[in-house]
Amino acid sequence: MSVSRDDVLRIAQLAELDVDDEALPELAEQMSRIIDYVAQLSAVPANGGPRVFVPGPDAIRFRPDDVNPAPLASGPAEFAPAFKEGFFVVPKLGQFE
Amino acid sequence: MSDAKAVADRLAKAKRLNALLTPLKDLRKSLAAQSAAARPTGVLYGMPVVAKDNICTLEFTTSCGSRILEGYRSPYDATAIAKLKAAGALIAGKTNCDEFAMGSSTEHSAYGRVLHPLDKARVPGGSSGGSAALVAAGAVPAALGSETGGSVRQPASFCGVVGIKPTYGRVSRYGLVAFGSSLDQIGVFGRSVHDAARVLSVISGRDPRDATCEDRDPLRLPTVPESLQGFVVGLPREYFPPELDPAVRRACERAIRLMKEQGAAVREVSLPHTAYAVPTYYVIAPAEASSNLARFDGVRYGPRFNGSADVRALYRSTRGQGFGPEVRRRILVGTYVLSSGYYDAYYRRAQQMRALIAQDFRNVFDRGVDLLFTPTTPTPAFKAGEKLGDPISMYLSDIFTVTANLAGLPAMSIPIGRVKGLPIGGQFIGQAFLEDEMLEAAYALERVVPAEDEAS
Repeated sequence: MSVSRDDVLRIAQLAELDVDDEALPELAEQMSRIIDYVAQLSAVPANGGPRVFVPGPDAIRFRPDDVNPAPLASGPAEFAPAFKEGFFVVPKLGQFE
Repeated sequence: MSDAKAVADRLAKAKRLNALLTPLKDLRKSLAAQSAAARPTGVLYGMPVVAKDNICTLEFTTSCGSRILEGYRSPYDATAIAKLKAAGALIAGKTNCDEFAMGSSTEHSAYGRVLHPLDKARVPGGSSGGSAALVAAGAVPAALGSETGGSVRQPASFCGVVGIKPTYGRVSRYGLVAFGSSLDQIGVFGRSVHDAARVLSVISGRDPRDATCEDRDPLRLPTVPESLQGFVVGLPREYFPPELDPAVRRACERAIRLMKEQGAAVREVSLPHTAYAVPTYYVIAPAEASSNLARFDGVRYGPRFNGSADVRALYRSTRGQGFGPEVRRRILVGTYVLSSGYYDAYYRRAQQMRALIAQDFRNVFDRGVDLLFTPTTPTPAFKAGEKLGDPISMYLSDIFTVTANLAGLPAMSIPIGRVKGLPIGGQFIGQAFLEDEMLEAAYALERVVPAEDEAS
């Protein structure tokens, strides 16, 4: 398998996503199949391949740098899980490695 | 002008499909208010339109089919919704979909699967399955969906309705909850080409709030052509593989014959990188999704799930419990392909392959082909549960639709026949911003194709 249980755990940490221990073997198996499947893209030469393509306007259009807030029907107090005195309330920051 | 009560009654009759997420009581109240406020001069005055649940509306909750946004009420309307309202349309509720539009069967919704209107054991397609099912059931004449890899055309094909994905940049994405930003477009469903085209015309056009929306006037509706004289229709051979479902092939061949009878010139063409489209898509879309969905963390919107010892535990438990299995899988795949050491092997290569796929289309259009005709899907609607355990087989049901998203081209599905009662869709792929030509061809085919007959 191209993706191990440890790989899944490492990726899940990067993605800030809890993954159940029981779900790990199946996730590793399914991710391996997906990664092996997309590996056929190695048919594209690694060097000197074509330029990347993104659709949309050829150039970014600039507009006047005016403060022009979109009117909101409600503020974050209405839709945030915890909001107090103009701030989002979160638990203490903890350790970021 | 439809009466607000009649609109709600028709939607109530389709309740068994599990296609509508808005509670009927809320819907009735809102429709009465909207109906009283609608502009009688609008071009869509009184037309009820449902919207996929990943399109923000002031009226109803916008949950994206996910627990992580359960009960979320947007503080603004998506531009497409604001334009519909300004044209006098009634927003007739939010439709069930695969969570964050990730899926091809509408089985990946936190709010239960949507039933196919003609066979409850089957799926309506996805991810905009609720919108497709309600149009097919006759509950509304038109609906909004969204496309990242075929999420309007594939369910339109399965349900026997018209589904249009416009050119990337034709319709504003403001207020469409982002999944794969370089692929996403709002699309429309209609019972007829005309219903879908009218809605598309209203929602299209420039929007200063979306930098990827092109600075163009709204799409002008073409007239129904007398014939297809002068049209050169390309048939890409990669879309008619030997393993194509025989009934789908028969229906396509009949549609091609009918287009020839109307004067179209038909030519076989080749899009040689087609086989790489699904793997390309399943690198680019999850990569963009893993980045876009980082914002759902239990801090700013929606509910917060436990585990709040510190803020990281809060993120992880909210995301771990709030996202369903398919979304988790795609976030992990996206994070993997973007992670250090893998970026060049997967993400950069996928972007290069995307360029080759887009070039394939340009080569064909540069040689005088006006538009392409293909099957929309390799098979008619499949059974619920059939592909749930095998993500790749689910992904392959989008094999004929993802290319247009990768290349940013307009494409649409129209019903072209049935097999054992199940609808079959035919797809047109047009040139960028030439939706009008594509619609003309669709009008002409729709007029003559026996869409409700068995393909023979």
